[in-house]
Amino acid sequence: MPILLYRVDDRLIHGQVVVGWGAQLQIDYIAVVDDELAASDWEQDLYRAGLPDTLEGRFLTVERAVEAIPIWQENPKERGIVLTRDIATVCQLAESGVLQGQEINIGGLHDAPGRRRILTYVFLGDDDRRELIRLGKTGVRVSARDVPNARAVELDQLLKS
Amino acid sequence: MAELTLMLRLRVLARSLAIQGSWNFRTMLGAGTAFALIPLLSSLFKGEREALARAVGRHAGFFNAHPYMASVAIGALARMEFEAADQEEIQRFRNVLVGPLGSLGDRLVWARWRPLCSIFAVLLVATGAVWWVAAGLFLLLYNSAHLSLRAWGLGLGWREGRRVGAALRASPLRRLPDRLTIPLAVISGLLLPPLALAIGEGSGVEPISLIGISLILAAAGYWRPATVGRAAALILVLGSLVMIVLANAA
Repeated sequence: MPILLYRVDDRLIHGQVVVGWGAQLQIDYIAVVDDELAASDWEQDLYRAGLPDTLEGRFLTVERAVEAIPIWQENPKERGIVLTRDIATVCQLAESGVLQGQEINIGGLHDAPGRRRILTYVFLGDDDRRELIRLGKTGVRVSARDVPNARAVELDQLLKS
Repeated sequence: MAELTLMLRLRVLARSLAIQGSWNFRTMLGAGTAFALIPLLSSLFKGEREALARAVGRHAGFFNAHPYMASVAIGALARMEFEAADQEEIQRFRNVLVGPLGSLGDRLVWARWRPLCSIFAVLLVATGAVWWVAAGLFLLLYNSAHLSLRAWGLGLGWREGRRVGAALRASPLRRLPDRLTIPLAVISGLLLPPLALAIGEGSGVEPISLIGISLILAAAGYWRPATVGRAAALILVLGSLVMIVLANAA
């Protein structure tokens, strides 16, 4: 299990991910899949500023990630987390088939116009709901959980409320 | 270019102390950040009430960071407003700051500096210091770094503006959490025996053998910081509970 967590979190690399999940899972890298971020050096600079030396930050386009993820999954020497900013991006990954049978963690989607509060850390709009349903149909398990010790909330419960 | 005068700096810093004052799950530090920005924004939009109100509104939406590191964001965002940067760019920049400032601050302050200062204070009490001296030293030590961090962050953000990411990566602050790992584990190792003695008062253990055990645990902390750190955290929590129970029973 060399990729230990697939997570959707609009804050991307932040304290919950580095201190919470990172320490618990003892990872070597955090990979962010985001087309815009992959093209922006100053933004990558900022995200890397939040990482300890022992943790590598990787920034990839969706296209590159589809090639890289199967290789990382088979690499027993490195342990990592894959992050996306939104459900649409992880949906693209899932539809390419590289996440078959994996669990997707919804870790943080915050307030924005048109969104409604579902959990303290999950706010969803109509588009987000449609994408969640789409994601659920791609053969992955979906649940929400902000930090490792918290209770997981399953997809059908997210969509019900 | 406008200047960040001492007066403005102090007013912003004073306001930033209340940055979590209206914390909520919807906007988190948003309103607090806007509140701290007001002195800077009102010097920029002097006499333009409408423009000022719009600017404050722009900065009151969802934002999060470590509360001390939020100073970096306040400085950098104010700088971009003064440079009349494109609003879309400011918003994008604001969103990007959330993760890194949270990660850096959580690692440095919550995971290292605060436990380090607390354990130092408990060590003082466990080795015989009067409680209010230890508590006073804790407040002094912890807050001198805390307030310096806020002031430094504001200055850095203001100076660097949108280039603050590269400046943060180059700053010694980025490596500081890792540098504090070993000191934290060493001081935890030192603390455990005196704490155990304080808990089991009058158990008849020779103080001299305790010093020996202390030094061994401190050395273990140097070689295996993660293991000693975890053990110490567990024992500190359990030890404190035992102490509370004993104190109430007596």
